[in-house]
Amino acid sequence: MFISRSEYDRGINTFSPEGRLFQVEYSLEAIKLGSTAIGVATGGGVVLGVEKRVTSTLLETSSVEKIVEIDRHIGCAMSGLQADARSMVEHARVESQNHSFNFNEPLRVESCTQAICDLALRFGEGADGEESIMSRPFGVALLIAGYDEDGPQLYHAEPSGTFYRYDAKAIGSGSEGAQAELQNEFHKSLTIEEAETLVLKTLKQVMEEKLDSKNVQLASVTREKGFRIYTDEEMAKVVERLPAN
Amino acid sequence: MPGFDFSNHTRNAALHARGVPLPKATSTGTTIVGCIFDGGVVIAADTRATSGPIVADKNCEKLHYIAPQIWCAGAGTAADTEFTTALISSQLELHSLSTGRKPRVVTCMTMLKQHLFRYQGHIGAYLVVAGVDPTGVGLFTVHAHGSTDKLPYVTMGSGSLAAMSVFETQWKSKMTEQEAVTLASNAIQAGIFNDLGSGSNVDVAVITKDKTTLKRGYVKPNERSQKQKSYIFKRGTTAVLNEKIITRQEISKYVTVSELEGGETALGEKMDLDV
Amino acid sequence: MTMFSQNPLMNGPNYSFSQTPTMASGANKEHSFYPYTDNGGSTLAISGNDFMIMAGDTRSTSGYNINTRYSPKVFKIGGTTSSQDDATLVLSVVGFAADGHALKEKLDAIVKMYRYQHGKPMSVKACAQRLSTILYGKRFFPYYVTAILGGLDEDGKGAVYSYDPVGSYEREQCRAAGAAASLIMPFLDNQVNFKNQYIPGSGEGHALVERAKDPLPLVVVEALVKDAFDSAVERHIEVGDGLSMMLITKNGIEEKFLPLKKD
Repeated sequence: MFISRSEYDRGINTFSPEGRLFQVEYSLEAIKLGSTAIGVATGGGVVLGVEKRVTSTLLETSSVEKIVEIDRHIGCAMSGLQADARSMVEHARVESQNHSFNFNEPLRVESCTQAICDLALRFGEGADGEESIMSRPFGVALLIAGYDEDGPQLYHAEPSGTFYRYDAKAIGSGSEGAQAELQNEFHKSLTIEEAETLVLKTLKQVMEEKLDSKNVQLASVTREKGFRIYTDEEMAKVVERLPAN
Repeated sequence: MPGFDFSNHTRNAALHARGVPLPKATSTGTTIVGCIFDGGVVIAADTRATSGPIVADKNCEKLHYIAPQIWCAGAGTAADTEFTTALISSQLELHSLSTGRKPRVVTCMTMLKQHLFRYQGHIGAYLVVAGVDPTGVGLFTVHAHGSTDKLPYVTMGSGSLAAMSVFETQWKSKMTEQEAVTLASNAIQAGIFNDLGSGSNVDVAVITKDKTTLKRGYVKPNERSQKQKSYIFKRGTTAVLNEKIITRQEISKYVTVSELEGGETALGEKMDLDV
Repeated sequence: MTMFSQNPLMNGPNYSFSQTPTMASGANKEHSFYPYTDNGGSTLAISGNDFMIMAGDTRSTSGYNINTRYSPKVFKIGGTTSSQDDATLVLSVVGFAADGHALKEKLDAIVKMYRYQHGKPMSVKACAQRLSTILYGKRFFPYYVTAILGGLDEDGKGAVYSYDPVGSYEREQCRAAGAAASLIMPFLDNQVNFKNQYIPGSGEGHALVERAKDPLPLVVVEALVKDAFDSAVERHIEVGDGLSMMLITKNGIEEKFLPLKKD
């Protein structure tokens, strides 16, 4: 079984007789190894949260960047190969800037997500005359949070190039447990503050390390302030709000 | 003959070389035609005068008097056609007086071509000369460089091709006066509608052995449309920044001032007003 | 219009072919290529409180010739059907007709693609910015046109954006462009923005009160457009034949055609 499978692993754009693209499926596996990231959308904005996985006491935790800004109104959290996420985010930033340059308006969150997913499929041999950019699919999934004329939105984008909109979504190694928790706890009338607590509470449950204000990161997107990564003081305040154990 | 004054030529050439544009002359961008018929000749013209793409005069006269039985239609630089025809007209009158004979169309044509040739095309007059004299009917074209043609039907100006297309399809020998007038008028209208340098109305002059008839505004196919709105301003709309009253005593130092008779109002020339 | 002057030996024809002089070998000949022509015509746009009107004559000229009496310069942009009957934007282009046509086709394609990509119709503000970038994209080989973009803004107010050939743009109350722009624009200043109109008896000299800028109703603006073109036709040889008008309101675009003088 495993041997027959590997025959179709050579050409990364080659379907197996069962109609599968193994390299793409493997890339989804890569995400399951990544650190957990959670996004919760409320009426007032979207909250993103990630665990930082501090592997050494000598690690400078502020250098772990798993939540980044795409534009003033869009940000994203990642899980998987971080280096891959860099080029996706760079692409999204260029798309967003091009859009506001050309149209004098912010890019919609869905359009931004679509632009990222367009890039996700450009692996393998380049099409006729077109240069190939990547030899393999991306090994990273993104939670894209943003605010546009349709209000706050949260999208999940995969290496397969598909994306869906969610009210609340968890990705990475702890995603299964976290998603179940979100399923139970999410309701439409959450406030931003409640969402912050929900994100951290959920992360706390699935993290191997003990959660503190250094090994998690929060960010939010709101109409008033746009995308914002929480400062150390703000992080401390939210962590303090968490119910004990 | 009055000569031209060239004293500014060197200065103007120097200015032009430094980028000062030449002044724009009013040109009669024009359609003019002429056509003979049994017993006479008809000439016709449109009435548009242009300065570049702007219509300078919507109803100018391009049919010029030379002698009672000789008329001339002019295209090209408006001033040149007016002065050249006026000049030749007076010379022809003097010639007629000293010879005691009626002026001939060929004479007129010859004087025009010699005058124009002398100025090597710098006088931009393109003319259709027509008339009836003791030798018969005459119809010529004279170009600015001095060349001439003698033909039964002629066209000139920017609309000459449009007008000639009418002649080439509809002209026939032995036409009646009315047929010739209609044909010439149609030829001008072809120019009016298809040549941007020509427009407005059709003027026609018919010359026979016995008389000349000038039909000014023979056809008026381009009457101005009625405005949708009234553009009359309330009195006082325009700001008056300063005012100076000149008394009768002051003005009478320069002109004679007389009192009008009771009830009488002074009338200037009547003007058309947009209402 | 001569696009090429590439007679190998002289610039014009000679009296006969046998007289054509032979040129010494090795002499340099300057070749020239001028791909632009001016096709004349004029356009005009005026915005109102809840509408805007875009108009243009339909004559196309080259030199003293009329190419056609019906070549509209006002186009609907970004509709979803081939007839463009659900479009909400209008573009007028005057100058070099071929460039105007290419520009209109390009903008229309972009606005249609925008709807597919972003799932919403393009706003007039966004379209205005995009048109600017299209024009500036050809900064050193420009579209030889004066464009005016029209529509209703996010608040439902009439919007007029006017452009120069390389993309500088501005939102305005009204704008005339093309051959007769210099004839029409002063009329608009006076009749739309009430420039140089004061309230009689409201003061002395500079202290006069300007006439209030009341918003004009659609019927008045339509009358102004017709009168402006009727007058332009009287005095400009490149304007005439027909007037194509588009009235944009919240109910869509109404097209009107009026004959103009043909001389």
